[in-house]
Amino acid sequence: MINTQDMTAPLAAIVGAEHLRSSGGSLAVAPGNTEEVAALLRFANEKGSSVVTWGGGTKQGWGYPVAPALMLETHRLNVLREHTWQDMTCTVEAGCTWSGLQSGLAQHGQCVALDPLWPEQATVGGIVATNDSGALRLKYGGLRDLIIGMTIVLADGTVAHTGGKVVKNVAGYDLHKLMIGAFGTLGVVTSVNFRVHSKPRCTQSFSVSAPAAEPLGKLLLMLLHAQVSTVAIQLRGSAVGFVLDVQLASLAEVLHTQAAALEAMAQREGLHSLPAQENVWSARQKQMDHEFVCKGTMLPSEIARFAGRVRGLGGESVIQGTGIMIAGFPAGTADGLMKLRGELEEAKGSLMVLKQPAEAKLDCWGTPPDSLPLMRQIKSRFDPEGILSPGRFLGHI
Amino acid sequence: MLTASIVAELRDAVGVDGLIIDRNQLQTYECDGLAVLRSLPAAVVLPRSTAQAQAVVQVCARHQIPFVGRGAGTGLSGGALPNDRGIVISFARMTRILATDIPNQRVTVEAGVINAHVTQRVTPDGHFYAPDPSSQSVCTIGGNVAENAGGAHCLKYGFTTNHVLALEVVLPTGELVHLGSPTLDAPGYDLAGVFVGSEGTLGVASTMTLRIVRRPETVQVLLAAFNSISAAGQTVSDIIAASILPAAMEIMDRLAIRAAEAAVHPHYPECEALLLVEVDGPAAEVDLHTKQVRELCRANGAWEDRLAQSEQERILVWKGRKAAFAAAGRLSPDYIVQDGVIPRTKLPMVLERVAEMAAEVGLRVCNVFHAGDGNLHPLVLYDRSIPGQEEIAVDLSMRILYLCVDHGGSITGEHGVGREKQQAMGYMYSEPDLDTMQRVRCSFDPENIANPDKLFPRPRLCGEKTGKYTPHPLETAGVAEFF
Repeated sequence: MINTQDMTAPLAAIVGAEHLRSSGGSLAVAPGNTEEVAALLRFANEKGSSVVTWGGGTKQGWGYPVAPALMLETHRLNVLREHTWQDMTCTVEAGCTWSGLQSGLAQHGQCVALDPLWPEQATVGGIVATNDSGALRLKYGGLRDLIIGMTIVLADGTVAHTGGKVVKNVAGYDLHKLMIGAFGTLGVVTSVNFRVHSKPRCTQSFSVSAPAAEPLGKLLLMLLHAQVSTVAIQLRGSAVGFVLDVQLASLAEVLHTQAAALEAMAQREGLHSLPAQENVWSARQKQMDHEFVCKGTMLPSEIARFAGRVRGLGGESVIQGTGIMIAGFPAGTADGLMKLRGELEEAKGSLMVLKQPAEAKLDCWGTPPDSLPLMRQIKSRFDPEGILSPGRFLGHI
Repeated sequence: MLTASIVAELRDAVGVDGLIIDRNQLQTYECDGLAVLRSLPAAVVLPRSTAQAQAVVQVCARHQIPFVGRGAGTGLSGGALPNDRGIVISFARMTRILATDIPNQRVTVEAGVINAHVTQRVTPDGHFYAPDPSSQSVCTIGGNVAENAGGAHCLKYGFTTNHVLALEVVLPTGELVHLGSPTLDAPGYDLAGVFVGSEGTLGVASTMTLRIVRRPETVQVLLAAFNSISAAGQTVSDIIAASILPAAMEIMDRLAIRAAEAAVHPHYPECEALLLVEVDGPAAEVDLHTKQVRELCRANGAWEDRLAQSEQERILVWKGRKAAFAAAGRLSPDYIVQDGVIPRTKLPMVLERVAEMAAEVGLRVCNVFHAGDGNLHPLVLYDRSIPGQEEIAVDLSMRILYLCVDHGGSITGEHGVGREKQQAMGYMYSEPDLDTMQRVRCSFDPENIANPDKLFPRPRLCGEKTGKYTPHPLETAGVAEFF
């Protein structure tokens, strides 16, 4: 373990003493710009000091645990640098909270079309590092479809730009895609260029309830194939069975025709659609309060099956129409969770354990793919000293 | 020249009918759609399966032989241009559609499957494969993956990378890996995302799982004639500001219109700028959106606007646009088609500057572009038989790209860098940017045999892993020892 004492002076020289403090066994440093981030990493790299980048701290428990020497805090990098609303792009620093970004873009009636967890606290950088996404992914895609460029700082202090400020760009590798979901192991993201969308003018949400998941699963698939302007679909457990929530967006004049089409489809399954309650789209976030929380992935045709399976194992799930699930389980269900992982992996999906009681010691990542050696190669070239979030990632990268 | 023993190894890998070494036959492969650059490969192989493709790459890895994958050879940046010491791996015989999963909207194909054939296969089930480059009736999915191909509809539907879920890739080391997954968010780095658009420099993809999309209920195409490019450009901005996202928005200038008319007779109105807007979606929405688009065109001074009334009319309107490149051959003996991107709002200013630059060197440039996403296709018209004119034309086409970068854009929106624009990469990206990309390249291809001498401005070697020794976790845990 590196002695953090003799780092204080050089770190204070980079960021100023007022932006340096102790935090548990680590030193927390808050750089004010990309150059300071680069200087910090260069220093840490030379010392072989481990670094974890810290945004809002909302997802630090995801992945294998790391006890770093340095916590690189991004809250001072919080500016929406550019909003070229006519070109529908923006550039934002990675320490900006998601809600901060959105309120900036709302001034021109625009947004980044993503609904991550804990938007008031979570930062752009952390959301990117964990590849978080919500219900809007169905219509708008995930971060890999919304990000058009990034500024990143590598472990040795190299500052690199990837992509650009235009949506259509095939010059060189899409390095920003590599950074998305990399849990900070390849570099520190200091700013992101997003493509933005107009906020939809008129939306309406509906809920369809049923005692069993199967008919709702059928309705979900029907909706994916229908000529209806669906923004989001999710299947969740409820006290009386299961519920399918659907959000439609269209012009005010024709939204009712879309709602009627939805009702007609529901009726074919012997079900009814009702206006949804206010908070249905925060159901995913509510799942994060359980003892065990996991993220599962599956094909849309498997959604009903796994919704039932999670319930059978004592848990509750919220599954998006994209096949991405958040499931919460009570204490004592560790074995059931591992069984669920096996079944999901067999169905070409995955299960990542995001939260677990300390004594459970479940492997959080699951079976590694055959490309793991290639991932190690990439890690070793981006971070040869292994200072960035060491051991946090899949395969203990 | 390959030694006889290497030729024998290649023959073992793909069978005698899968190997071409006769010079006359090799000439078919000496260039792609960028015909000015030609280079004869030492051999061409045509594998019929992933196993054969892997066997070939293993031969290359053993003997450090450069290789490049090839689909239909329609690429416009020299991506498939062979290395004269190396081989071409043609996927022309891997044309099977392996699986279609309509409920989950996924299709798995071999790399040599033609883009339009994917759509044809899923049309009866009301779906289509969205990325539609103009060459879609001949180009292959493998080539689309290498270039991250776009097309006119990428404004609304995205590019190849948004529609590729998983790939089977033969790495330049000869290993076979699976990148991505049919389900979303496979844990680990998004290697599929890095591979798409890597122009054959990270290996060859033999099969891929694609996303297909529900065909919209209704499609309407509107044509509007304007007196200036800027009026047409402003209309595009206004449409987007009105929260309408058309499936496509294209602009053609007077010269391009004339060429298209002569070639396929779409009966376009003769004007300074023609705007083509395609709106799709549920019928009720489309009617309202089209009405709004029409109003916006008129508000910006469109002196004529027409709605295609039938499927035939719609196809003819598009035929004219898609024929524009080839049709340029009617305007001039030779032409260079370029591919730059600028922020949409800079369109009128940049086009004006392009016209000035062309006039300065005595050449004409005809313009066709994806107005919705600022992707220009200036066609630089020239006559090769006039001494020096080709050099001037090439230089002008590159300066247009630098102009795009100066205005915050990109040197390529869909054709790729290949050989043609590799020097321009140094204009768009700095050394640290290119160095970072190179780290990825070396991870996949440490021996630099996968389509070398492409994409990057100068040859770079993959250095030894730098940095001081760090013990493996097993060593620290006392479980293992390093000798």
